Amino acid sequence: MKMTLLTPEKRVLTGAEVDSVVLPAHRGELNVLEGHTPLVTTLDTGIMRWKLKGSDRFQYAVISWGYCEVYPNGIDILAETADLPEDINLADAQAYIEKAKSRLATESLNDADFEDLARSIKRSEAGLEVSKYKN
Amino acid sequence: MASLKDIRAQIASTKNTQQITKALKLVSASKLRKAQNNIVNMRPYALSLRRVISDVAVTQKVAHPLMGQRTEAAKNVLMVVLTSDRGLCGAFNTNINKFTEKYIKENKASLQKLDFIFIGRKGLEFFQKRNIAPVDSITGLDKDISYKLASQVAERLLKYFLTGEYDEVRLVYNEFKSAISHTVVCETLLPINLGLSSFSDEINTAKFSKDLVFEPNAEKIVEELLVKHFDLQVYRSMSESVAAEHGARMTAMENASNNAKELINKLTLTYNKLRQEKITTELIEIVSGAEALK
Repeated sequence: MKMTLLTPEKRVLTGAEVDSVVLPAHRGELNVLEGHTPLVTTLDTGIMRWKLKGSDRFQYAVISWGYCEVYPNGIDILAETADLPEDINLADAQAYIEKAKSRLATESLNDADFEDLARSIKRSEAGLEVSKYKN
Repeated sequence: MASLKDIRAQIASTKNTQQITKALKLVSASKLRKAQNNIVNMRPYALSLRRVISDVAVTQKVAHPLMGQRTEAAKNVLMVVLTSDRGLCGAFNTNINKFTEKYIKENKASLQKLDFIFIGRKGLEFFQKRNIAPVDSITGLDKDISYKLASQVAERLLKYFLTGEYDEVRLVYNEFKSAISHTVVCETLLPINLGLSSFSDEINTAKFSKDLVFEPNAEKIVEELLVKHFDLQVYRSMSESVAAEHGARMTAMENASNNAKELINKLTLTYNKLRQEKITTELIEIVSGAEALK
């Protein structure tokens, strides 16, 4: 099964052979294996992981909004951002979460801003989680 | 006639200018490389996104207001003019401004409403002097263009379109061709045109499975993807414009450095001539003085 992971700013993977992909899909975690039914779905902010062919452990990345398209012999994932564990700066992420949370608590925000902020907190938290697994 | 001292000062100052233009050229060259990478990296994402939208829209026969096809010509146009914040880049901004002015002249009569959004300080200032006030303007884009920034801009544009006040959003910007050439293009941003000739295009859908599963559903996916597609369009145009700006600045600075070099050569020649003349005159004076004493 071929996997492609793209963002507007970089190409993370193009046509890599993988055995298994786990995604934060619209309805919860989605595991795509060889022979999955064709599917188009949106992705939420969260952690995705994939297992390269012949490898016995998962590689991790944090993605924000995106979608994936599963076709008979592969999967295309387009995400707005994709941070690999080595891209994540722990101290920055932690500081950001604290700042953002205090903003949530003190400022009165409109719905769109609130959603943005909540999403970016989720992204940073996922980043902290993922940085435990160095690829 | 300038004195020797004047010419020396002039040479020194020209040399200073030359150093600055050379430095600017190098800076632009490295920024250009970065901007070019941006464009190249974005391409696969853009292509893939576009393919899925058209596949889904065609097979599921989904229509969306963002890609509505109009039958009559647009009446209320919102024009987005993309220029740079800083000058010293040749005709980069002038071309855009001229194009826009011409557009205003030609289309003012046939349109009910023509409003502007200026992105970049140069365009804003140019039209402010001509008493054309924008409905909105965005400046301070000096830094590198990021996708995040572009999607913020895109969101603002989308808001204007969705109020229903405008039935077309057009964008004027410099398209990057190569480091030494760029052209002014005027594109229709909204409504989105995916180049779908018709909804019954069989060739496009041949590869697409009929029993495809959609989550949440096809309409929702198309809607979300269209918004992203629009973000990406804005990001692409901005990246193109930035690349073109750096390219234009590089060329302009290259020319300026060459001109400075030429000027220095000329001045040095004059300086040497003058110096020789002076020595000759002094020698003659000494010789004739000595002759007179005999």
